[in-house]
Amino acid sequence: MLRSLSAFKYRLLIPLLLTIALILGYPLAFSFWVSLHDYRLTAIDQAQWVGLEQYLTLLTQNASFWNALRNTLVFVGIAVSLELALGLWLALLLHRKTTLFRNFFRSALLMPMFVTPIAVGLMFRFLLNSQLGIVPSVLRAFGVEMDWFSARNALLTLALIDVWQWTPFMVLLLLAGLESLPEEPFEAAKVDGASPWQTFWHLTLPMLRPTIMAAVVIRMLDAFKVYEYVYAITRGGPGESTETIQYHIYRVGFLYFRLGEASAMSYVLIAIILVLVVVLFYALRRESLAQR
Amino acid sequence: MRLLRRELPILLLLTFALGVVAFPYAWTLLASFKTEAAINRPLSLEFVPTLSNWRAVLFESKVPLQVRNSLLTGALTVSLSLLVGAPAAYAFSRFNVGGTRLRFAILVAQMLPPATLIVPLFLILYSLQLLDTVWAVVAAHLTFILPLVTWFLIGFLDDLPRDLEEQAMVDGCTQWQAFYKIVLPAIRPGLAAAGLFGFILSWNDLFYALLLTGKSSATLPVGIAGFWTFRGIEMGRMSAAIIVAVVPMVLASFFVQKYLVRGIGGGAIKG
Repeated sequence: MLRSLSAFKYRLLIPLLLTIALILGYPLAFSFWVSLHDYRLTAIDQAQWVGLEQYLTLLTQNASFWNALRNTLVFVGIAVSLELALGLWLALLLHRKTTLFRNFFRSALLMPMFVTPIAVGLMFRFLLNSQLGIVPSVLRAFGVEMDWFSARNALLTLALIDVWQWTPFMVLLLLAGLESLPEEPFEAAKVDGASPWQTFWHLTLPMLRPTIMAAVVIRMLDAFKVYEYVYAITRGGPGESTETIQYHIYRVGFLYFRLGEASAMSYVLIAIILVLVVVLFYALRRESLAQR
Repeated sequence: MRLLRRELPILLLLTFALGVVAFPYAWTLLASFKTEAAINRPLSLEFVPTLSNWRAVLFESKVPLQVRNSLLTGALTVSLSLLVGAPAAYAFSRFNVGGTRLRFAILVAQMLPPATLIVPLFLILYSLQLLDTVWAVVAAHLTFILPLVTWFLIGFLDDLPRDLEEQAMVDGCTQWQAFYKIVLPAIRPGLAAAGLFGFILSWNDLFYALLLTGKSSATLPVGIAGFWTFRGIEMGRMSAAIIVAVVPMVLASFFVQKYLVRGIGGGAIKG
């Protein structure tokens, strides 16, 4: 009986493990092998072993790569912090039991997160276009001249588009977090005459912290993958001012056909993301220990 | 009266937020009924509505083919994910195979940036001569949808009382029968929610589809991306195609929203 149970539970798992090995494990291993070669799409049969050379040039000499990484970090930083602030505020409003049409707003405000990002990118390219766009036209009528996609503004504009699309995701998670909080502390605070601001600062925020951290980590990892807005609107420009890491790897690998270099970049990217995740999780754990 | 005075500002704020959310859609919908000349005058409110963009998109473009490709890709990806993911989720939930660590490893797989997988996938699919087929995109989409669907289902299975299967096995079912005759039907809403969410993700993907498809297997996002060719020239048609891509997913979202939080938090809450 026991043996048949353990055989049964592993048999359930085999299809998943095989599929994962096939579509994730093997490609990742292959990609590492490619990263050790001068591997060009234009000359696949002439791949040459170069060892760690591509990693070394990448880490020491490749200004474009580091520029793309910096752009991505700026993008993620701006987008996720705005999403958190706005998302928390909306979640609090939608959590209040007396808010009118609460359920309607809850579903309707989530709309952007289910839409393909390329469509979102193109819609905003259209809305913000300096000739065709309604937003610059209206601003011009008020005497404000603004180029949303200039070298100075473009990255910020892309981050704001991300805020439009993904704040709903924050709202969704934070609302769920708010709903799962126990009610007694809040009733006690009310009895003690705490102001709404005090309640928020000393009760809601600390109790919501695990949800906030989880939501921020998920959003950060997701924002790291930003590609569609760049592809739809700026293609990395003006100059390289909006070139993000995912777009950069795409460009090197599939526009310049340097697959070996692109693979080396993706391994460096994995390493960076892993470091980020580990740091975040340690911060999270230290905090939850400190609270006890 | 006092209630109204307190609630009115909040209602206005939320209405404003809704306006910000809805305006891009509304403007795009409007543009799909405008001529290119009318699109070039964003501030003039008067225009003669035209169906020419819709006619062009629905009857003279590749959009119908791309919709078909997207449907097929999504359906295949989701079916395979459920087929492979559901038994595994059952093993994680009931027998805790591999412990919490393996559970989270599955989730981490979902977080890998597509940029890290595209090069090897492209080369492997090229040597298998599968580029520009539906299967190429399905394989790529499985890399993130299979882990997600599995993660979702773990959550739903954790919530299911164990007595159900135990009772079935007392009644003479084998473990396997108990799983597919009793457990699977009991989590039907979970299967539907996970499947629908997986489908939305597959339908929305641009990155993999752009690089792994060609003319015959291009999905709708690839098609939409192709409309912005010359500045403003195909604006109206692009708007119509965007509406085609967006509206079905917004409608589908109303069915999954309820389950989404449970799915995302799913496998983690128990641990």
